[in-house]
Amino acid sequence: MISKRMYPWLDERLGLSGIYKTVLDRMVPKVNWWFTLGSATLFLFALQVVTGIMLSAYYVPSPDKAYDSIQYIMNGVAFGWLIRGIHHWGATLMVITVFLHMLRVFFYAAYKYPREITWTTGVFLLLATLGMGFTGYLLPWDQKAYWATTVGTSIAGTVPGIGEFILRALRGGSDLSGVTLARFFSAHIWMFPAIIIALIGVHIYLVIRIGISSVPKEND
Amino acid sequence: MNDLQKAQYKEKYLRAKRNGEKFFPDSLYRDMLVMFAIFLLLVGLAAFVGVAAEPKADPSDTAYIPRPEWYFLFLFEMLKFFPGSLEWVGTTVIPVAAVFALLLLPFYDKNPARHWKKRKFAIGFMSVVVAAMVFLTIRAVVTTPAQENAGAVATTLPAQISAGQDIYSVQCAECHGAEGEGGVIKGVKGLEGYKMKAINSQDEMYTRMDDTLYNIVEYGQPDLGMPPFGKAFGGELSRSDIDNLVTFMRYTWDNRVEVPKGAAQTNAIPALGPNDIPSYDVNIAPIVKRYCVSCHRPGKENNNYYMGSYSDLMNSGDHKPNIVAGDLNSNLIRMLHGEKIEAGGAMPPTKALSPDLISIFERWVKAGAPEKPAK
Repeated sequence: MISKRMYPWLDERLGLSGIYKTVLDRMVPKVNWWFTLGSATLFLFALQVVTGIMLSAYYVPSPDKAYDSIQYIMNGVAFGWLIRGIHHWGATLMVITVFLHMLRVFFYAAYKYPREITWTTGVFLLLATLGMGFTGYLLPWDQKAYWATTVGTSIAGTVPGIGEFILRALRGGSDLSGVTLARFFSAHIWMFPAIIIALIGVHIYLVIRIGISSVPKEND
Repeated sequence: MNDLQKAQYKEKYLRAKRNGEKFFPDSLYRDMLVMFAIFLLLVGLAAFVGVAAEPKADPSDTAYIPRPEWYFLFLFEMLKFFPGSLEWVGTTVIPVAAVFALLLLPFYDKNPARHWKKRKFAIGFMSVVVAAMVFLTIRAVVTTPAQENAGAVATTLPAQISAGQDIYSVQCAECHGAEGEGGVIKGVKGLEGYKMKAINSQDEMYTRMDDTLYNIVEYGQPDLGMPPFGKAFGGELSRSDIDNLVTFMRYTWDNRVEVPKGAAQTNAIPALGPNDIPSYDVNIAPIVKRYCVSCHRPGKENNNYYMGSYSDLMNSGDHKPNIVAGDLNSNLIRMLHGEKIEAGGAMPPTKALSPDLISIFERWVKAGAPEKPAK
């Protein structure tokens, strides 16, 4: 078999068995189904990335065309409704799994020694996920999007002292416009995903390095 | 935690690991099952629930009730407890404090215990916070009023053309004619006797792009006597409405566009076989909607004869009844034939209905003017 000779050759160069040993072939405590929420979130994020990349092929981030381009995705593109549907519902589900995942960690005290930094990166991941939700909500450029973002950004404008600056920075001017759409789009497809991917890297490195926590017993 | 406690934890954790399972395949198997279930759930939601269609963003529509994404609702609702000058407490102090409380949690929670029985304060506090978030979310959903004019949004081309046709018939037909043919305007205040050019000609369609048509409808052409129709300028039409109207005009009058299959049928007035009995719902309503309702609705000069519903059609008006079941001498039929009677002159005033349409009316009146189609 060619694979029998291929594998040692590749392993010698890529260190595959080392990866297998550290990542897959390791002992973990016996835990319950609540511990699947982290990987579920990771899976949802991967789905959002894949469907989001597909949507970006047809979506046009301009006030004139955004709404129509989504109509076209829903009615004209083959399986466009499925891709957008998964992206739409995936966002909602991801917020739910992130929330439950954090609650699981909190109630099992898994944020304590030695996993403090894992928790902190997790909180940043929560904020970035909410940022994705907030920026993504505007992109369809429909009534719901427009008015929710108008209200959302004006809430940011009530911060004492720097509120006016934040408001103008978010909107790119005093009112919602094509500039707002452009920067929300940029934040949604570049800034937040870049932050999330980097943080997930640290998060998972720590989970593998330290190991998942166990369900606390009475004497813990 | 001191060094002793750390060492104790590490030892316990090692034991838990030794008595545990392999990440691959044991744990990963459970993870994969959950992922697969999530994937099925998402496909199901996309296929059977879908994404609700909303009208296009319309900055002029200030009556729209804003709704944030559901997972921000609790924040939105919380703000209601900090009115006026206290608003910044709800918008700044509490969210910032909450973020820092979460970020620094492992550093100020010095309790080394992990079982919930030894962490009653932490567990209790978080439970109250979660309960409050759930409560605020539910309260927000319950107290937010329903959206006004939350009608169906036309998302497919046939639906948009059909919605545009309805808008055209109500808003435009009075002056521009039921088919855009123009003619001498009758019965419109201020424009009586004005000769309107046709807007359905190829000259018009070839030289005016969609954007131009959109702007003409939204802003009007006040110098020529056309009022603005966009909400931003005091009219009745939202952006989606005007988009649909322009789509209707383009797909109906421009001979360069190819009307997709299915779209052509949505506007057609239903055909009537020689032995069929016409009914209001199926046959009369579409004709009335296209040729009559533009003037025969509240706020227009029409002797209070409204034609928007079956009961209005039968029972309203200063000269009622205008329709008498079985009687071909009733006002409506005589006026459709162009007779000038006490109730008024020929109807529609600018251009008579085609003989087939009039005959549908006659057959309907003869059959007793039924509302619902016969089984």
